[in-house]
Amino acid sequence: MKSFWLFPGQGGQRAGMLERVPSELRTQVEDWTGVKLADTEEGYQDSQQIQLSIVLLQISQIDQLLNLGWKPDLVAGHSLGVFSAAYASGVIRKEDVFKLVSLRAKLMQNAYPHGYGMGVIVGLTRREAAKLVEQVNSSTDPVYLSNQNSELQNTVSGKVSAIKQVLTLAKNTGAQKAKLLQVPNPSHSPLMQKAADELAKMVDTLELKKPNCIYLSNITGKSVRNLAGVKQDLTSNLVYPVLWDLMTSVGLEYEPQNAIEFSPGTTLSKLLKAKDKQISMITLENMSIDDADFLLNKWKGKN
Amino acid sequence: MNERNWHTHRDEKEARLTSAASLLDGKFAQTKDVVKVLETLIKPGDKVVLEGDNQKQASFLSEALDKVDPERVHDLHMIMSSISRPEHLDIFEDGIASKMDFSYAGPQSTRVSQMIADGTMQVGDIHTYLELFGRLFIDLIPNVVLVAADKVDRQGNLYTGFNTEETPTIVEAAAFHDGIVIVQANEVVDKLPRVDIPASWVDVIIPADKPYQLEPLFTRDPQAITELQILMGMMAIRGIYEKHKVQSLNHGVGFNTSAIELLLPTYGEQLGLKGKIARNWELNPTPTLIPAIESGWVESIHSFGGEVGMEKYIAARPDIFFVGKDGTMRSNRALGQVAGQYAIDMFVGSTLQIDQFGNSSTVTNGRLSGFGGAPNMGSNPTGRRHSTPAWQSLKPDDDPLAKGQKLVVQMVETFGSNKKPVFVDHLDAEEVQKEAKLANVPIMIYSEDTTHIVTEEGIAYLYKTDSMEERKAAIEAIAGVTPVGLRSKAKDLQKLRDKGIVQLPEDLGVRRQDAKRSLLAAQTMDDIVEWSHGLYNPPAKFRSWS
Repeated sequence: MKSFWLFPGQGGQRAGMLERVPSELRTQVEDWTGVKLADTEEGYQDSQQIQLSIVLLQISQIDQLLNLGWKPDLVAGHSLGVFSAAYASGVIRKEDVFKLVSLRAKLMQNAYPHGYGMGVIVGLTRREAAKLVEQVNSSTDPVYLSNQNSELQNTVSGKVSAIKQVLTLAKNTGAQKAKLLQVPNPSHSPLMQKAADELAKMVDTLELKKPNCIYLSNITGKSVRNLAGVKQDLTSNLVYPVLWDLMTSVGLEYEPQNAIEFSPGTTLSKLLKAKDKQISMITLENMSIDDADFLLNKWKGKN
Repeated sequence: MNERNWHTHRDEKEARLTSAASLLDGKFAQTKDVVKVLETLIKPGDKVVLEGDNQKQASFLSEALDKVDPERVHDLHMIMSSISRPEHLDIFEDGIASKMDFSYAGPQSTRVSQMIADGTMQVGDIHTYLELFGRLFIDLIPNVVLVAADKVDRQGNLYTGFNTEETPTIVEAAAFHDGIVIVQANEVVDKLPRVDIPASWVDVIIPADKPYQLEPLFTRDPQAITELQILMGMMAIRGIYEKHKVQSLNHGVGFNTSAIELLLPTYGEQLGLKGKIARNWELNPTPTLIPAIESGWVESIHSFGGEVGMEKYIAARPDIFFVGKDGTMRSNRALGQVAGQYAIDMFVGSTLQIDQFGNSSTVTNGRLSGFGGAPNMGSNPTGRRHSTPAWQSLKPDDDPLAKGQKLVVQMVETFGSNKKPVFVDHLDAEEVQKEAKLANVPIMIYSEDTTHIVTEEGIAYLYKTDSMEERKAAIEAIAGVTPVGLRSKAKDLQKLRDKGIVQLPEDLGVRRQDAKRSLLAAQTMDDIVEWSHGLYNPPAKFRSWS
């Protein structure tokens, strides 16, 4: 029975989501990073709080499943999710994950105080969206095609004024939806190069291991079995689009029988189900670890 | 004077088998030794056929090939009709293989695209099935073939039964040119139901740890057929099957053609067409044809492969199917493709994109899927000289030496399941050719071979057009509100209808409001089981009660 583990990035965070996280681990993370995790709505206005809390939640779920004897055969993380994916595949130590994520969040927060962000276009293909971005992008009004969430859902990143022009063009060429996202950074675009350079410095000091399962790369959309491919994601995925649709297409070609989406949120489950109706899906946002364990045991019996 | 050695292949084969002697008891090796056997018998640079088509997979051997030491076995030139399993590509990442000649890569098409683009996989060609099978005897003669059998007896004779598919063709190419034939077997028995491949063609047999992988690829649940597909099916029956008196045919795997199969005993019956059309089939044993068979529409069916769950039903209908004395079907993909290309009146299929000229392809951006049987069956073999009414009906009447043509029909809805237009100015395949640096644009069916296109708007009789301009106008007329379709003008449409180049449902006497699900002879899998008198046993994933 092959298992495909999916780790979402920012967006699904909500007050109280850390309630089930063992307090020991939470305290440890606060010690390692020097950040007190609020787990409140006000707290989640802050990028560092969001990023550390999401990864903490995911890692506590990973630990529980690993302790029950479950292992992934394939891992895929969306943006911030790559850190949990790297942890789940045995690449990076727990403490290092949090130090790295803490730095990443800080770098992102300080990169563009205002005027930059991301937008989403639904209903156009990536090729169609790329043409619109090309029409607008300039050195004074930079905008880039960024994440590919599904065949017809792509994001753009850059200066807000440029994004708005692209969104207007998108609506005029038949997009069902085109709107600004509540993201204060031009993430997953070349505008984040400085942050990536800083992250690379820290990653170079870490002791990393080869992944013990197939890792799907944000940057290339390919399956990776060596360390270099994972390392590239950890340092530089902020600079490149997350090719999520491609990553999951490749993941599904390995014929996993089940997939687990770690918290928070349910978006990745929906995207995967839309591509593969047969796959057995566990969404930890709606299910306890015990229930997940029960289902995995049941499905294992079938195979 | 040195005499040339005329039997180097035989010497090489003997040397390899001798070096594997310690692993062999006669022809038999042990399950646990499979990796060692492959490491001993396969040499770097060998041409290796790994049996894998869109249904049956030599999965035990492909998993073992992925485990050989790349230091010992590397740079293989793989020849496979279908790239279907993850390890078929993993062997390229490890350097065990470096080159691939293939036909179809549907289930692995994303990784295939990536590996061609980054140079991990070199592509010989993307072939039609018959080109690939043919070249096994010309310039891709294999050193080693890895195939799968259901049962083997103590002498080494093989039973491949329902899923004989391309095994005999692959084995023949190796066995008679001093290649090595390695077989994985589900079961070793004392007595076979029948011999499909004789022991003298076989070198090594390895009992597999589990049965070979087999996909129920041609099973379509009638519940998923839409009323639009029923409408298109009715139009096709009236405007093509009846009009051209089509007697022999192949259907693609889509729901459009399933709808037609289920309309024959109802709508076809109402039109009084029983016995007049659709009698002889080159087709896998698709369950949706059961109602037509049971109502006496079908005279014969020859199949490329088997279909999971149809075994008992087929065994009980030897007048219809090709069945051995033992009561089980024998399929044959190579002969089936020959028949499908050369001996039938009509091919009906579907596609993901059709361009403004009428070329079609299922290759889209990022997915180099290759093609199944469509390029062979969906082409017009120009050397044919059939006297069947359908073939003759496409003969132009202004040339005394003119000949007929095979009917090649594409049935598509104007917008695909992703809500993107099926009709486009340029196929994605043109971009893919550039990205993957292919010798040819991966077109599935060429415009010149396409005689009809059916959409929910109407039928375009492309064979009647006498210029590319007229052909384009005919396609625009049935392309709905796609950008290509919006170019069509009302007065052009009228002219095309008057000339019989385009027919709308009303021209064919088909009423849109009659296209109801109740018109299907079977509306659920249960209905099909009932039609089969309980002989059809649907695979688990198609059973609602499991």
